[in-house]
Amino acid sequence: MLEVKDLWFTYGNPARRKHVLRGVSLRVSSRVTCLLGPNGAGKTTLMKCIVGILKPERGRILLRGRDITGMDCRSRAKLISYVPQEFTIPFPYTAFEVVLMGRNPYVNILQGPRAEDEVKAREALEALGVGHLAGKPFTSLSGGEKRLVLIARALAQDAQLLVLDEPTSFLDYRNKLVALETLRGVSRRFSKPVLISLHDPNLALLFCDEVFLMRGGEVVAGGRPDEVITRDSIRQVYGVRVRELRVNGCKLIAPEDALLK
Amino acid sequence: MDRTVLKLTVFFAFLLIASLCVGRLLFLPWRANALDTTIVMYVRLPRVMAASLAGAALGLAGVALQNTFRNYLAGPGILGVTSGSAFGAVLAILLLPPNPAAIQLTAFAFGLVAMFLAYYLARLAGGGILALILAGIVTSALFSACVGIVKYMADPYNKLPAMVYWLLGSFAGTRWGDLAPAMPPLLVGVVTLLLLRWVLNVLSLGDDEAMALGVNVGLFRALAVVAATLATSASTSLAGMIAWVGVVSPHIARLLVGYDNRRLVPASALVGATLLLFCDDLARTLSAAELPLSVMTSFVGAPILFAILIRRRACLAGS
Repeated sequence: MLEVKDLWFTYGNPARRKHVLRGVSLRVSSRVTCLLGPNGAGKTTLMKCIVGILKPERGRILLRGRDITGMDCRSRAKLISYVPQEFTIPFPYTAFEVVLMGRNPYVNILQGPRAEDEVKAREALEALGVGHLAGKPFTSLSGGEKRLVLIARALAQDAQLLVLDEPTSFLDYRNKLVALETLRGVSRRFSKPVLISLHDPNLALLFCDEVFLMRGGEVVAGGRPDEVITRDSIRQVYGVRVRELRVNGCKLIAPEDALLK
Repeated sequence: MDRTVLKLTVFFAFLLIASLCVGRLLFLPWRANALDTTIVMYVRLPRVMAASLAGAALGLAGVALQNTFRNYLAGPGILGVTSGSAFGAVLAILLLPPNPAAIQLTAFAFGLVAMFLAYYLARLAGGGILALILAGIVTSALFSACVGIVKYMADPYNKLPAMVYWLLGSFAGTRWGDLAPAMPPLLVGVVTLLLLRWVLNVLSLGDDEAMALGVNVGLFRALAVVAATLATSASTSLAGMIAWVGVVSPHIARLLVGYDNRRLVPASALVGATLLLFCDDLARTLSAAELPLSVMTSFVGAPILFAILIRRRACLAGS
């Protein structure tokens, strides 16, 4: 599905600055794939390169075998939809208006959306179970509702791949689980692969089909979550000693006692 | 067409007709003689047209810049365009023989110079919205200082009063001949901003999200800013400095049609045209002598903005 080959990126002058991505290569083929790693590992930068917000210094990005590295943003928006980590929409557009903006790649810029775009936006809101929020100002919604509306916008964009940067940030424990379960459902129902970034290894163990562990701009391990997230890899990447647990047959990790005291 | 936008259009049309009739001479079509008709056709009509077009242009520039810069208080002055135009005008008054066309042309040209300077400084500062706003503040301060120097150097009995009069704004002397050179940039600015109304929605989400939604942010932001600059400097060259209309009109329009720019952009144009036409009517009818236009727009605009802020606060408390 998505293939990243030897991707390098730096902010500012490449000759003088430290690289944020250092030869990243990965292949996303599962339903829900996760980038896991500490702050500054390069997860957001990698996602922005994939979406086309940042231009990589070198390397290639392929989607279904097609090189999209230099593709213009409008064509790329038809292939990949993106929900950023932080969203500060300055004006209180209604939830429907926010979702309708997801149709922008298909809209004649000078004419605006047509009736069929409005139908797609309503369908996306209904699919996420938030159709009743359509007329409410986006700024008045709770954190969880805002996240669902933005996932609906990504769905209305009708892209082949959904990319979500930390979809659980700023959410309480229940809403974190709801958001990830929703994403898993969306991926299954619409047969769309989803690429997300997470901070919590346990959420990756619970909800993801594949994990890529990142540190210092490099992918240090990739594969099934229970194979990648181990005592050794967590110690190597986060510098934290953990114990591996089994709860109802599912692998989880917990910090060693020394860290809790 | 949206029903509220239609109502606004009808209201504006009534005000337009009323503006042609009121003034020192009350014009009633069924009682008009040849002199009355001449006054309306050659004095009032160009003035009313100029006030309407300039108001629409300022309202559009305001809403476009508020969305582009994601800032409720952005207005046509944000990139230093009005200060640049003011410098161009006072420079023409200082150096050239009295000629309204020359003042108009230099005001327009320096408005564009200010925009390009702001863009250049923003690029030097690394680009992006914040750099552009800061570059606009620097440009505005620079040209305001230049206006101060020119006023200081001006002959206090002859040139200085002309400069102060121009800076306070007025449509008093506007005739068809003054309107003609301002029309092309005004119309290009107005039509471009009307066409960009959908993309302004997406631009207001911020650079990253707009790019991820397939908008060429650099191109469309530049288009919006250049169109707003054309509209603003053409308006300023016609009537001098006009305060508040560009900032307040989008706020009034939001109360009427909401935040979606597909309705908000035409509504802002109509509100801007109505507001400036109304202020100009007051300026020429309230007293025997013409009142400065900028004083009228400030007297009308500032309380309206305050009322909107109070209303918004009450709404927030209610929700």
